[in-house]
Amino acid sequence: MNWTANDLHIILVGTLCALACALPGTFLLLRRMSMMGDAISHAVLPGLAIAFLISGSRASWWMFFGAAIAGVLTALFTQWITRFGKVERGAAMGIVFTTLFAIGLILIKQSADHVDLDPACVLYGALEYTPLDLVTLFETAEHLIQVPRAALVIAATLLFNILIIALFFKEFTLASFDPSLAKTQGFRPMLMHYLLMTMVAVTTVASFEAVGSIIVIAMLIVPPATAFLLTRRLPILIATSLIVAVLSALLGHLSSQALPHLLGLPETTSSGMMATATGVLFLLAWVFGPEGLMRQNSGELKKPEHLIDLDEPKALEKH
Amino acid sequence: MKWLLTLLPAFFLSISCTKKKEAAATDGSIITTIGMIANVTREIAGEQQEVINLIGEGVDPHGHKPLKSEVDRIQKAGLVFYNGLMLEGKMGSILTSRKEKGKPIFAVAEGLEGVSLIGDPAHPDPHLWMDISIWAKVATAIESHLSQFDPSKKAHYAARLSAYQESLSELQSYALMAFGTIPVDQRILVTAHDAFSYLGKAYGIEVRGIQGISTESEAGNKDINDLVTYLVEKKIPAIFVESSVPKKSVQAVIEGAAQKGHQVKIGGTLFSDAMGPAGSYEGTYIGMMDHNITTITNALGGDVPPNGFQGKLRH
Repeated sequence: MNWTANDLHIILVGTLCALACALPGTFLLLRRMSMMGDAISHAVLPGLAIAFLISGSRASWWMFFGAAIAGVLTALFTQWITRFGKVERGAAMGIVFTTLFAIGLILIKQSADHVDLDPACVLYGALEYTPLDLVTLFETAEHLIQVPRAALVIAATLLFNILIIALFFKEFTLASFDPSLAKTQGFRPMLMHYLLMTMVAVTTVASFEAVGSIIVIAMLIVPPATAFLLTRRLPILIATSLIVAVLSALLGHLSSQALPHLLGLPETTSSGMMATATGVLFLLAWVFGPEGLMRQNSGELKKPEHLIDLDEPKALEKH
Repeated sequence: MKWLLTLLPAFFLSISCTKKKEAAATDGSIITTIGMIANVTREIAGEQQEVINLIGEGVDPHGHKPLKSEVDRIQKAGLVFYNGLMLEGKMGSILTSRKEKGKPIFAVAEGLEGVSLIGDPAHPDPHLWMDISIWAKVATAIESHLSQFDPSKKAHYAARLSAYQESLSELQSYALMAFGTIPVDQRILVTAHDAFSYLGKAYGIEVRGIQGISTESEAGNKDINDLVTYLVEKKIPAIFVESSVPKKSVQAVIEGAAQKGHQVKIGGTLFSDAMGPAGSYEGTYIGMMDHNITTITNALGGDVPPNGFQGKLRH
């Protein structure tokens, strides 16, 4: 393969994106809201349409603004429907994103049919193209020190996520597992919930704009799910999830360049392969992990008592 | 959770450092985004000059998946031609921002003199190649960029341009002659998406698209019903499918018309956003337009030889 600075940049942006998504993704998994990223990817459509109707422009800034508001609203509506409509969160997300997506389609049909407002064109970036938009951090007589603009955007999002989670770690943990206890202790679980949802909405929309949708949706869900097969202790869960995310980004780009050549095929997209790599790592964890197929078959598995029991809320679904 | 903060140094470690000379270096290659531009550029530059086209000849630019090797090529390119007017989606906006930073990148469909764009002024229809006289202006613009890029070959480019302009003007006369043979009340072109506005405007044909302008937007039921009523009223004999758009909506229209007792046939497959396979006659701009003109004319009741104006079309 033909290794250039571009590979480094793609891996850098991919890794940052993987980290920025896997971090809030871990808490989404604990709240059974993993599909939030996918829901937001559809629900941004009315945001794009309204931003276009107000501004008359498809400029990135307007599109980003519209999408971000639609993303936060998705989270807000989902919570309201879960609470007041007494439906399960997955269904609530389904209600919200399909309705918002449909409203978006109708808005476009009614007022902007002549304009191409396809999110894939006006909002989603492409991971592979990020090295073409470089920002020079500083320069010496002979050298330019540059990073992709997307890396700065996602690094800022990542930093924001790290700060929020580091500041409210105790609150997030308790609110995720035992909202009523959190409430009695004065932790305001609802506030924590909205904070997390805002984090997810901002992270997904910023990442969509910088690198496209598939890698974002995959990184929100699969690394935390993989980590969940390996451990149930929250700090280790987060760490494992981040490691899986970084590995996926790295292996994904390398295999997108090297693997097809081995089979005599042309190279493939990096973002697609990064998302595929998360799936492969999940499969490995599932087969070889402590709760995996191999162990289960040999009958060795015994659930240690200190594990967080996430199966408890399932009782509700069985009815 | 302090260990999370240790992730930040990892970010700063991986910032790349490029030598200024390398950042400015090019390999003198010419890059184009779509087949129609690549073909015209090759015609003018000649066979010695390598022209690399990024979006495959048979691929709808909307559905193009980005690759890392394209990035390497765009960075090293001596000259880049793209259509512009948002045809290339994200790749287009990235090329535009690089153009604004002073790289030798040109949007061939933008800023043409004496061309009035169709559609909302802020978001005009980008399918300019459907009007041969406009694409001839694009050819002239490409030639002048090539001459600036390599002034030593100025005479070579000029000679090749005038030969190519001659073929284009023959093609243009053929188009005018061919469409003139279609009975006046049947000069109505119904296709899957609105890529043919310029063709309609240039050659006096009314164009109706089943879908909106994007290949992604879905045709609504009412749109299909309106179109069916229109087809039946005007007794339009044929509608067309496109090489880069699914046939589903077109089939719905044909079935709708059949229920109202009007037989509509598929007039043929037209090339809209993409040309034919590389290496074939239909894989050139002239061949693609020859195919479109000949197919439309014969299906709508006109009369031209089925193998086109140069006798090169295969069916």
